[in-house]
Amino acid sequence: MLDRAASEIAQDAATRPVRFRGAGFVPASSRLGGWIALALVIALWQAAGSAGLVNPLFLPAPLAIARAIYQLAISGALWQHVSASLLRIGVGWVLGTAAGVAVGFAIGLSRLARSVGITFISALFPIPKIALLPLLILWLGIGEEPKIATIALGVFFSTAISVYSGVDAVPRNLIRMAQSFNVPFATIVRKVIWPGALPAILAGFRITASVALLLVVSAEMIGAQYGIGAFVLQAGNLMQTDQLLAGVVILSVFGLAVGKVIGWLEVKLLHWR
Amino acid sequence: MIRIARLAVAGLLTIMAMGATRAEDALKARIGVLRLSSSAPVFIAQDKGYFREAGLDVELKFFDAAQPIAVATTAGDIDFGVTAFTAGLYNLAGKGVLKVIGGMSREKAGYPLIGYFASNNAYAAGLKTPKDLAGKRVVVTQVGSSFHYSLGLLADKYGFKLSEVKIIPLQSLSNAAAALKGETVDAALLPVSTARKLMDEGGAKFLGWVGDETPWQLGAVFAAPKTLTNKVLVTKVLAALAKADREYHDVILAAMKDGIAPINEKTRPLLEIIAKYTNLPVEQVVGNCAYIDPDGKLDVKNVDNQIKWLQEQGFADKGFDANAIIARDFVKAD
Repeated sequence: MLDRAASEIAQDAATRPVRFRGAGFVPASSRLGGWIALALVIALWQAAGSAGLVNPLFLPAPLAIARAIYQLAISGALWQHVSASLLRIGVGWVLGTAAGVAVGFAIGLSRLARSVGITFISALFPIPKIALLPLLILWLGIGEEPKIATIALGVFFSTAISVYSGVDAVPRNLIRMAQSFNVPFATIVRKVIWPGALPAILAGFRITASVALLLVVSAEMIGAQYGIGAFVLQAGNLMQTDQLLAGVVILSVFGLAVGKVIGWLEVKLLHWR
Repeated sequence: MIRIARLAVAGLLTIMAMGATRAEDALKARIGVLRLSSSAPVFIAQDKGYFREAGLDVELKFFDAAQPIAVATTAGDIDFGVTAFTAGLYNLAGKGVLKVIGGMSREKAGYPLIGYFASNNAYAAGLKTPKDLAGKRVVVTQVGSSFHYSLGLLADKYGFKLSEVKIIPLQSLSNAAAALKGETVDAALLPVSTARKLMDEGGAKFLGWVGDETPWQLGAVFAAPKTLTNKVLVTKVLAALAKADREYHDVILAAMKDGIAPINEKTRPLLEIIAKYTNLPVEQVVGNCAYIDPDGKLDVKNVDNQIKWLQEQGFADKGFDANAIIARDFVKAD
């Protein structure tokens, strides 16, 4: 049976040359493809709006949204909103990430931290942060603190999870080899575990940056007068759908920008791959 | 097998036949309401069968905020909406996709609905009446909400600028209550139902009722223009509601003293209906009865004032007034 199969394969190979097949999947991202798709969708959307196929109340046309953003920009309110939100997102994300990386490494490296940490993270991660808003207001008031805390909390859990998964995924034989050469613990962490876990950590950053953007809307439910989230909420409350979508577009632009920055970071920090 | 199939077909046919006859007999209407006593006449008309007597088959759809009712009416998910005016509702109406067809609850002296409440610290520091709110940090649920407008009326009444008050939108009543209890703000506007609990716990001090300070038209009945083409339906719904308005006014509102309705053999049946639909015990319903005009009239002048105020604040689109959003054929003006 086996002999025959082998001989058949040998025969095939002899008679029919096969091109190299095992190139793997390499989804190269084309520079233009994404933009063309985006432009097409926007053009279609504008055409539907201009032709009167869609009620402008239910789906404002891109031009109306652009006009809303333009008006916001010339009134100067846009910068106030953007800077207020960026400050909250920035500080919240940095705090959440710093705590998340520290806890994630602790869980990945220490038995005690692992048994305690994973239990708490599993128990607390699924709590919707919005449900905690009244409590956050009682604890922290209505200033910047509860807004930053909302974002930091959301970022913390995702970061901690992606960091300890990254640490777990570092090949054990590399660590063992370093240990056999009597490399000190701190150096192993710095030279073996940190670079090994970095791809997973950066992938985690991609997610947490988006989480921070998502949470800015909930965070600014707490008595914010300025901020993109507050602007979106107000537009929703007032049924000003063009302004609502203008706020959403600004949030997406944030998202794109953050994606670019992390892409650049990956290239810089992971050039050894 | 065949027998089961036959049974199923027969069953289907009877159901379809029943559906057909019912559709012929009664005009169907879906009414969107909140589970609040400010919609009491809707509950009374439904429970006592006033809609049925008028040949209507009414289905009540319950919502938990005013805004979605207006949106659902526009989208055609419900035929009529009964709720408070909001900036969002006016913006929809200003675009011509909603028309006001009748009045509902009002802020009126002697009928507590929304109140001004101070935190304990602010009260101790001298915030004792609504007049003192100038320059304070005041919580409202949402920008452009009925609470915000009430504060605007108060500013006009006592001659201070609304911009002197620091308005803090916290999006929900529970957030507002938490901020007041946590002493992080000076005052808040809260409905009586939320405030009672807070005051009983000693978390807030009462300053005054909006109805006593600045009466205004709080709620309305509205419908999409498409529904208004069915004149028979609209007239019948409004007539049944007016009957319930009158009964609610004469039985409960007329008997109210110090903002509380007495529980006796006359008022009990209606109070129990309201309790049933609002999921509250009768004892809480009695202190929470919104004033509603006995003839279902609408204070058109005040509606116009609300629109102007919202436009001045930049919360409503410019270029429409009360006349543009009111269905004159149906509305009885003050």
